Amino acid sequence: MTQIKYMLLVSRQGKVRLMRWYSAYDSKERSKISRELATMVLARKAKMCNILEYQDHKVVYKRYASLYFICGISSDSDNELLTLEVIHRYVEAMDSYFNNVCELDIIFNFTKAYEILNEVLVCDGSMTETSKQAILRSVMTMDSLETSDNLDQVLS
Amino acid sequence: MGSLRSFIKDVRAAKTLAEERSIVTKESARIRTKLKDDHLPQEKRRKNIHKLLYLHILGEKTHFAQVECINLIASEDFRDKRLGYLAAMILLDENQEILTLLTNMLNNDLNHPNRYVVSLALSTLGSLMSPELARDLYSDVENILAHSKDDFLVKKALQCAAKLIQRDASLVEVFHSYISSRLVSNQPSSHGVLLGVAKLCQATIAAKEMYEYDNYPEILQSMIQSVPEFFALLQDMNSTNFNPEHDVAGTCDPFLQVELLYTIRLLFELAPHETESYKDKLNDLLTKIATNSDGTKNSAHAVLYECVRTIFALQLDQSLKVLGVNVLAKFLSGKDNNTKYVALNTLLHVVPQEPQAVQKHRKFISKCLFDPDISIKTRAVELTFAILNNSNIKELIEELIAFLKLTSEDEKDLVAYVVEHIIGLFEQYKLGNEKWALEATVNMLMIVGEHISLEKLSDILIMINNAQDLNHKVQIIRRILDISFAKSEESVSSANVGWKLVSAWCVGEYGDTLLENNIYLDTELTEYLRTLDGLYSDDYRITGYVLTAALKLSSRLQNPSCIEELRQIIKGHTKDTNLMIQTKSVQYAILFNLPAKEKHDILGAMPLFEKKAKNGVPAAGSKPEVKRQEPDLLLELLDDDYPKKNTASNTAGSLLDIFGSAPQGPAETENGKDSESLGPSQNSVTIPEDALEAFQSTDLDVHMKLKSIDDYEAHVEMFIHANASINSLQVLAAVSKSKKLTLGNLSATTLAPGENCCQEMKITGGGKPKLRIKLTFNTGSPSITTTEQFDYKFEQKL
Repeated sequence: MTQIKYMLLVSRQGKVRLMRWYSAYDSKERSKISRELATMVLARKAKMCNILEYQDHKVVYKRYASLYFICGISSDSDNELLTLEVIHRYVEAMDSYFNNVCELDIIFNFTKAYEILNEVLVCDGSMTETSKQAILRSVMTMDSLETSDNLDQVLS
Repeated sequence: MGSLRSFIKDVRAAKTLAEERSIVTKESARIRTKLKDDHLPQEKRRKNIHKLLYLHILGEKTHFAQVECINLIASEDFRDKRLGYLAAMILLDENQEILTLLTNMLNNDLNHPNRYVVSLALSTLGSLMSPELARDLYSDVENILAHSKDDFLVKKALQCAAKLIQRDASLVEVFHSYISSRLVSNQPSSHGVLLGVAKLCQATIAAKEMYEYDNYPEILQSMIQSVPEFFALLQDMNSTNFNPEHDVAGTCDPFLQVELLYTIRLLFELAPHETESYKDKLNDLLTKIATNSDGTKNSAHAVLYECVRTIFALQLDQSLKVLGVNVLAKFLSGKDNNTKYVALNTLLHVVPQEPQAVQKHRKFISKCLFDPDISIKTRAVELTFAILNNSNIKELIEELIAFLKLTSEDEKDLVAYVVEHIIGLFEQYKLGNEKWALEATVNMLMIVGEHISLEKLSDILIMINNAQDLNHKVQIIRRILDISFAKSEESVSSANVGWKLVSAWCVGEYGDTLLENNIYLDTELTEYLRTLDGLYSDDYRITGYVLTAALKLSSRLQNPSCIEELRQIIKGHTKDTNLMIQTKSVQYAILFNLPAKEKHDILGAMPLFEKKAKNGVPAAGSKPEVKRQEPDLLLELLDDDYPKKNTASNTAGSLLDIFGSAPQGPAETENGKDSESLGPSQNSVTIPEDALEAFQSTDLDVHMKLKSIDDYEAHVEMFIHANASINSLQVLAAVSKSKKLTLGNLSATTLAPGENCCQEMKITGGGKPKLRIKLTFNTGSPSITTTEQFDYKFEQKL
């Protein structure tokens, strides 16, 4: 089952690039978690496993270039290996959208990164779409709706 | 005021943290003022909300603009709506009162003609589902499910429905029918919709306890009727058709496969009887998936791993369990650390079910002890302790000690855990007197002495003190002190406080033996204590031990100058700032001056020390239940052939249930015949004082003793005391179905009046260990066969 508690994108310098919380954490807990996890994950060596035990749950992370994708998952129902695939699917979708995504794309276009994520994960972090094409199709159609809206206004 | 892009650039260009903070605070204040302006053009408004979202990522407070986000949603411009919903999802959470403002807008947008607007509203409702929103908007979600043919909306509506049920269990009534209707609709559903169906099914299962109406059985039945559909979907994904849209490195949609497997698992767990007829098919399916997912990629492993979890969660057939353990063994032997981790983790849960099968893969488990990764190491350590038993204890402990050698400073929690467990094991297996155990302990002390707690150190001292082979004991002490006196090639770091404590203790306690055997000079011993005292004067633990050692040693040697030195050590602390040390040294100073005879009596060698089993014996207040029941009924229950029907009825009481079914049920072992040849000559068992009375009859008394108990395993000793002459004694024992019982040897089968014998038992599993014991024996001549039976329950939990 996929029930992701939160997804954090953290740079190699430990800066948060994106964060999305699917379970209720107050702002204090949020900053504690992102601070602690950044330190823990950055300290790990490349060959170590991608699963950590943290507080009462597990954390699965994966590094892509200069960014770490960090997910909190529940200890017993979530499938750790599958979570890695969820992260990968999200990264693939962004890669196609931005045409070879890099950290800077995400920094400057973080709303797009959020919107792509919203087509992959919904509600309490459960996966709603597994096809990359379907994810991209809906994000791009919405993009075109925005520009046509713009056009309508200019014309009127 | 610049664009979002220039704001991000400015923040990134900041050279110091202070500079960054000042940019951020200024911008935050500016956004706050701008948003207050009612005449701000929409485009500027959007720009400010964008910046606000960036501030949120930076960890800044954004609460002041919550109403602004909601205002954006109210706009008819798609750009405003999209951004407004995004901001609401990210900046608000379901606990905020402000959500009531959203109700109307969501209500409108859920019925909007544009599918993307509906989709945004569904996503937002899914993220911000307060009980009020759930109550007010569930009918709109249902409306979409009932009428929409658009998979894009249906998949999200299903996810929302699942979340709605989580918030309010009574909504099961409204939504459950969409599980089957979506599965059997004419056109094949997209994977997104199927994911939604699985989620809705899971939510419906989870809501069972909260659901108040009495039609749950029918709902459950309708879900069970969907099982063949789930099977067919999985079957389909594992047939040869390649589907490029859903392929992930050679596996067809692992996400959907895992989600379906998990749903099936929940259904089978919830309704074991109703799903019984599908079990064979499930077995076939899992075997098929396991063979099909034989790839080396993570996506295949994810599916395979879910299959294994299903097998063990549902306790499926033996052949599948073997398959499961083999898959995990393959994971362990592979190169991928993630699969290693999940395999270790799963094996830990499998050990109680399949101890032997796990045992076979010990080699791989031991290898993981030496993995550089702490996550894997920790799991491997736990697993090593879980599979440890009488036959492999020596080997495994040596491996663990080798493991300790390679640990680093930041792993001290793990080290402490290992040491405590090993020392606990020595006590539990009564290995305190064995030479290798003692040497292993000294090795351990040498490697990681600084991480051993004072309590465990005193356990080690007790082990040394109780060593029965005196020559060996002296050897051990000599080895310790040789190292401490720098007379050996081995050396111990100066941070190893544990080692110093033990050394100091040995000097004090065994000073006389060492001097008699001419191993050391009296000046050497005294000098060592003095050096320790000087080097570690700020460590009260060492000082305490040095004081005791000095006092003890003073009564064991003759050389007046040494005695004077020892007196100085004690005197030196009579003004110590640490109250405990001060008290100690003042009292010791008094003892020091006592006449030699009295002093010698007080400070004599320690007697053999009996350590009370901490967790073994219940406190006097809590008496274990001892029941005697009608033997005929119980005999029936113990009998293997007794029909299974009892398992079905809970009403017959837990006992009936516990001893119900044959295959996994009572583990019965006959010991009588095996050990008969040993004869009574071996019979020298005494009943320990802390054993509790479990049963009494004219012929025999039975006492029980819980030797040890931990997470998975309890060791029990049963002592039988004969009141009459007994022969051909047989012990049969059974435990409840959730546990497993291993009977050790019965120490004697023939007892003269007054003699005792002992039966060891090992119980694995969870909960309070309960035993049913049946004793069969012959008495008198001509011999009469008697059978006695009783139940015994321990108060401690596994």
